[in-house]
Amino acid sequence: MIKKFCVDQIDVYINGEKLLDHLSFSVQPGEMLGIIGPNGAGKSTLLKVILGVIKPQHGTVEITHNDRRPVIGYVPQARAIDEEMPIQTWDFISLGLPHRLRPWLTKRDRAVIKETMELTDTSHLAKQPIGKLSGGEKQRVFLAQALVRNPDVLLLDESTANLDPKAQEEMASLVHELCVQQNISTLFISHDIHLVSKYSHRVLYLTRGHYTVGSAEEIIDNANLDVLYQLQHVNGMAQTAVETMRYGG
Amino acid sequence: MFHYDFMQHAFIAGTIVAIMCGAIGVFVMARGLSFITHSFSHIGFSGASFAIYVGWDPLEGLLLFTTVGALSIGRMGVKFFRREASISVMLSVFLGLGILFLALTPQSGSFTSTILFGSVVGISLKDVWVIVILTAALLCLLTLGYKMLKFDSFDPVGAEAAGLPIRFISVAFLLLLSVGVAEAVQIVGALLVFALMTIPASTARHITQSVFMMIVVSAVLAVLGVWVGLTLSYLTSAPVSFYITAFEALCYFLALGWSALKAKYQPMKMAA
Repeated sequence: MIKKFCVDQIDVYINGEKLLDHLSFSVQPGEMLGIIGPNGAGKSTLLKVILGVIKPQHGTVEITHNDRRPVIGYVPQARAIDEEMPIQTWDFISLGLPHRLRPWLTKRDRAVIKETMELTDTSHLAKQPIGKLSGGEKQRVFLAQALVRNPDVLLLDESTANLDPKAQEEMASLVHELCVQQNISTLFISHDIHLVSKYSHRVLYLTRGHYTVGSAEEIIDNANLDVLYQLQHVNGMAQTAVETMRYGG
Repeated sequence: MFHYDFMQHAFIAGTIVAIMCGAIGVFVMARGLSFITHSFSHIGFSGASFAIYVGWDPLEGLLLFTTVGALSIGRMGVKFFRREASISVMLSVFLGLGILFLALTPQSGSFTSTILFGSVVGISLKDVWVIVILTAALLCLLTLGYKMLKFDSFDPVGAEAAGLPIRFISVAFLLLLSVGVAEAVQIVGALLVFALMTIPASTARHITQSVFMMIVVSAVLAVLGVWVGLTLSYLTSAPVSFYITAFEALCYFLALGWSALKAKYQPMKMAA
């Protein structure tokens, strides 16, 4: 279990423009932090800063584990998989195992893969080629590949995008369940306020250069949400959806 | 035909190179490097011509030029070299250089044919040993880096996300590929290295269900191609490379047809 996961006062400039401004928050083990915000607000950039791919110009990201180096699992936004390539789901998930130089799988590796596939409900897809799976199935397999490393921190970048509402709900529910059961600190980026408010313990609302962290209710009741989804410009259906989120029904 | 030393050498060297091409070809296809492989063969052609010009062994020139080429491509980035314009400039420049070195070399006629079309029957015992050592080293490195290479080749975004050293993997693979091309040029010639590196792997893609089986089938098809090519060439005196490419192409179209038939008669899976 991680001892500390703390983002402290980070500043990130992209192309000379300040994207993240003194951003600070912390995440507890087993906590799911939903991240919402308009396109270009710096949500994916924040995940890359946590991964260490982008260095912040100021501030630190501290992730410490009680007795080992913390492991981060990341499910990126876009995935280029050649559908013609004969790589089976089982094999694809095994790619995520932490060892690098041993080309074969041990009994222990096989047990870990089997357990992860059961957790993510992908056991029945084991022998299927990854390219032939549906969008929802693929997302569960990508999640399994990140989980097979036994991560302490899980970063999901719009993993429910391009899925139908039922598959989105299933995916978010699965992530929430795993986060709590396995004590994984999880950051979940989505544009779906309904999903984020239903499954996240807290929400980080990010706009370019500004942020707010709080409970889903606090964020949804905040006037900033109108700015986020630019309700003055969208149609009545979107307005109704947000009103429903705010007041129930 | 096995009572001739040159045929024994040809079969040993051809089999070893075919195994290497079949295995490495799977990653060439997965990484979308087939045209870079083609570029390497042209770089290798000018390297071999340069070696002849300065009085070296052609393999030395091949290795020098292809490995320097691999490091340059790796440094500039594979994406840059995938551009159509970059590849056509590369192919033209190195082909031109090769022709220049051959033109500067007196009595280079037989060398031109050997480098361009291969000369498996002209392989000496010393060449066989060099090929065995190079292939063994190459396959060892491929086995050692198999997991990382597989991850980066079949799921590049996932590999980067998992923190793999993707730049290092890319350059290391280009170097292995350059050595593989230098070896294969001696068997099938600069013009057809491309065929032995890509067709068996493309065929295997249509008839296998896993990466490991794809490597096995690709290597088997490459070996069969070389054996068929050598045997028919011995019997008919036609070039080995013609029979190799004809055999590989036939297998590819059969696999393509089988794959299309399988897809037609398999129940459609509804995508979500």
